[in-house]
Amino acid sequence: MQRTDTFVRRLVALTGGLAACAAFTMTAPAPAGAQQKPVKIAVIVPLSGPWARQGTLVKFGAETAVAEINETGGIKALGGAKLELIAIDAGDTAEKAKNAAQRLVAQEPDVVGGMGAWLSTFTLAATEVTERAEVPWLTLSYSDQITARGFKYVFQSSPTAGTQSTQAVPTLIELGKSATGKAPQSAGIIGDNTASPVSFLKPMREGGLEKLGMKVVMDETYTPPLSDATPLIQKVRSSRPEFLLFISSTISDLKLGLEKMNEFRLGKGAIPVVGNGAHMGAPEVVKNVSPDLLEGLMFIVANWQLKGQDRIAERYVKQTGEPWITQDGLAGYGHTWILKEALEKAGVADKVKVAAEIRKLDLKSGPAADAFPGGVKFEANGRRAGAPLVIVQWQNGRPVSVYPTDRAFAKAIWPKR
Amino acid sequence: MRTDTRRQYLAIAIFAVAYLCIGLLVQNSYYQLMMTLVLIWAVMGLSWNMLSGYSGMISFGHAAFFGLGGYTMTIAFVNFGITPWIGIPLGVVVGVIAGVVIGIPTFRLRGHYFALSMLAYPLAMLYVFEWLGYQEVSLPMKREAPALYAQFSDQRAYMILALALAVLCMVVSLHVERSRFGRSLLAIKQNEPAASAAGINALRWKMLAMMLSAAMAAAAGGLYAVILLVVTPPTMFGVLASAQALIVTLFGGVGVFWGPVIGAAVLVPLAETLHAELGHIVPGIQGVVYGMAIIVIILLAPEGIYWRVRDRLAARRPAAPLPAAIPAADVAPLATDLRPQIGRPLLRLEGVSRAFGGLRAVDEVSLTVHDGQIHGIIGPNGAGKTTLFNVINGFLPADAGRMSFDGTELAGLKPHRVCALGVGRTFQVVRAFPRMTVLQNVVVGAFVGAGNDADAERLAAEAVARVGLSPAEANAVASGLTTRQLRLMELARALAPRPRILLLDETLAGLGHDELEDVLRIVRQVNREGVTIVIIEHTMHAMVKLADHFSVLDHGRLIASGPPAEVVKNPTVIEAYLGKKWMDRAQDTVA
Repeated sequence: MQRTDTFVRRLVALTGGLAACAAFTMTAPAPAGAQQKPVKIAVIVPLSGPWARQGTLVKFGAETAVAEINETGGIKALGGAKLELIAIDAGDTAEKAKNAAQRLVAQEPDVVGGMGAWLSTFTLAATEVTERAEVPWLTLSYSDQITARGFKYVFQSSPTAGTQSTQAVPTLIELGKSATGKAPQSAGIIGDNTASPVSFLKPMREGGLEKLGMKVVMDETYTPPLSDATPLIQKVRSSRPEFLLFISSTISDLKLGLEKMNEFRLGKGAIPVVGNGAHMGAPEVVKNVSPDLLEGLMFIVANWQLKGQDRIAERYVKQTGEPWITQDGLAGYGHTWILKEALEKAGVADKVKVAAEIRKLDLKSGPAADAFPGGVKFEANGRRAGAPLVIVQWQNGRPVSVYPTDRAFAKAIWPKR
Repeated sequence: MRTDTRRQYLAIAIFAVAYLCIGLLVQNSYYQLMMTLVLIWAVMGLSWNMLSGYSGMISFGHAAFFGLGGYTMTIAFVNFGITPWIGIPLGVVVGVIAGVVIGIPTFRLRGHYFALSMLAYPLAMLYVFEWLGYQEVSLPMKREAPALYAQFSDQRAYMILALALAVLCMVVSLHVERSRFGRSLLAIKQNEPAASAAGINALRWKMLAMMLSAAMAAAAGGLYAVILLVVTPPTMFGVLASAQALIVTLFGGVGVFWGPVIGAAVLVPLAETLHAELGHIVPGIQGVVYGMAIIVIILLAPEGIYWRVRDRLAARRPAAPLPAAIPAADVAPLATDLRPQIGRPLLRLEGVSRAFGGLRAVDEVSLTVHDGQIHGIIGPNGAGKTTLFNVINGFLPADAGRMSFDGTELAGLKPHRVCALGVGRTFQVVRAFPRMTVLQNVVVGAFVGAGNDADAERLAAEAVARVGLSPAEANAVASGLTTRQLRLMELARALAPRPRILLLDETLAGLGHDELEDVLRIVRQVNREGVTIVIIEHTMHAMVKLADHFSVLDHGRLIASGPPAEVVKNPTVIEAYLGKKWMDRAQDTVA
């Protein structure tokens, strides 16, 4: 039936000429369910190169949210318009990330908002483009610079690197106190000399720890990759800090350190080890490091699965086949929902209006607020107000949240002295 | 040559205008960005070509200059509020200084060692900049007077800037290619010892090339940072930046300024398109396709697209009539057949020694070469004859002894300085510049005796005529010559700057009988025109006919010296080197 229809239409078009054709197609009935043009949102993350895995997890999160939103009636304020996710590869260099953003704004002028580009450097480069194009942009990247440039269209959902490094130790002290009843008095530091560990540790090394009444009993910097952790761990053994900040940008260095600690009988939480970054809780970590070694290892992240996110996690796991949701997946999911909420309020698929609505958001409940502990409300500079740190600990082969204590899934394992 | 240069200028102008027109017409900001990046990487390629393409000193570390240019501009902007309009030239200055600082120690190395140590510089800088705390620096957005800080909302402004820089670098490259500078580099690339012996100050030209190259890379880096707006050590100093410069040049064509431009124009959009179209479908496939494309092109056109296309076009076109390279009227009539008077001592060696470890290759040799003489140096293989030449012309420093040429002390002088004094030399194994024509080979030799490039061409044409090479031979490419032609070409190259003494190392080796007579005649002729000759030779027969004076070396020692007739009768010499049979024959000839 439909086939004949097309054939007849073509015949008419051929005989009736171009004008007739145009008129005919214009009057032809639109297929059901497409009354509204889909609303385009973008995700620019590394889908190739060394960060492809993390980028893919963000994309998974966004896809989960888009599927959920479209199943439950799309954007109601826009007559049930569906969301369409445009995924663009940010590649492995800042140049490619910038190119990706430029391609987005050049070729998808009706995009109403987006998220990315995972690595701070990429985000800095990509947002130079999106800002000028006035596309509201959500990011989980940590760098303080992202929201220190006076940009109006960039929204940072994670606590910034600066916040994380000033908040990390007070948070750990609180966690130690709640677990053991006594605040820890001494700490040790091991960090590699790459960008993120150096800036993370900077305020602590410059008197931040002393100010909190902590004694720094050891402080070591190494150049990755680590070939032998013995000298580092020997210092840990001789100084015996109450907890050890082991800030490494690669899992392999951390693994060497943990193995050596185990050998020296300092492992499995005998001295709590605290790392930084969501990569320490990625599902593939267990493939490289035995769960035995990981037991008790803590790490600081911007977001992890907390109470209230069960529904999100369940859906994500079902849709993607991943064993659990990480910070990356949560961010992709939450950012999509933030754009959805702003679209509902704006009532029009317009990027500038959507940005204005994001600035006004104050969500305490709903999927977007569930995804981000502390709710969704942005400060004037684009940072999420009151975004707390989350501390995760490997317990029984799984990374589980142990802080903030009110929403955490488990209690921290912290040895009493 | 002049008209060709004018044609190249026209080609650059057409390229610039066409690129500008397309760039201004393109509305899509993404394509505008692509067009800008093509030019940036073309400039990086031109920079790499300036050093590595022309001189053959392969650099894996051009990111050092790229990064310094970018970071200088960024730090000046972020920390001191200096606009990139000043910051980029400042970066160029820093880049040039870095070029000198890097060049001084690194030019001591050759081949792979040079390439590898160049690789180390940007990697070291990467860590230094991380350590300094410049992990991620973003250029502040200037909302007021953005143009004052090189910030434009219209991407095409960047494209115009990049085009201006690219055209400037192309014109500079063209100038270098067509001048003494470029030809000296080319000579160094093809045979550095031969170039030095022909009077080229290799270190000076290489250093100049390094400085120019560093300036271009630093300018590219500065502009790149202005466009990217974020600098990080891996972006600016990473291996990728060095590799990109190298790849676009190898792909497009090495040693010609069109090469990097063609390479960048093909590869940059190709890589980006593959990334955009395939990257999200099969992650990483773009790298595989890109790599394959490069492999295929390198296999089909090993020297780059430019040369391949040029060779194709040249093959299709009917052979062009050979340009009349030699202005015949300029050649001075050959001097009389009279031998010059044997005059005062010209080259004097006193107790000259040179050892390689325990082997005394030249052992306290004292000899005097008189003005106008043909002085033969004979001896068995390994006697130290060539080593003696190498010591005289400065390839090897003498361990002991004194050497003077017309009263000037030679010890410690570099080959090009010795050459400039009027000491020319040829080599046992001909050291030609294989990709140049005979005339171009000779021009390289003439630079040392010429004030300007036109003079050098005139001297070269004269020398080619003096050795009796035809105009057709003069325009042939050196790699296709016969032994005789090569020997004559080398002789012409040594003669071009009008030396006073020629050191000929086995010039007669490998020649047939008729050819030998031909070359002998020419050597005699050259001598008659007043050039003193020192010749190493194995062909005794010829040698006895040619030389006025024999010096015999064995195990590095001078064991006999005197007129040939006397020397060949010297029983020690006969017994030790020439053998009994030779004596009978020699007596027939000499007597």
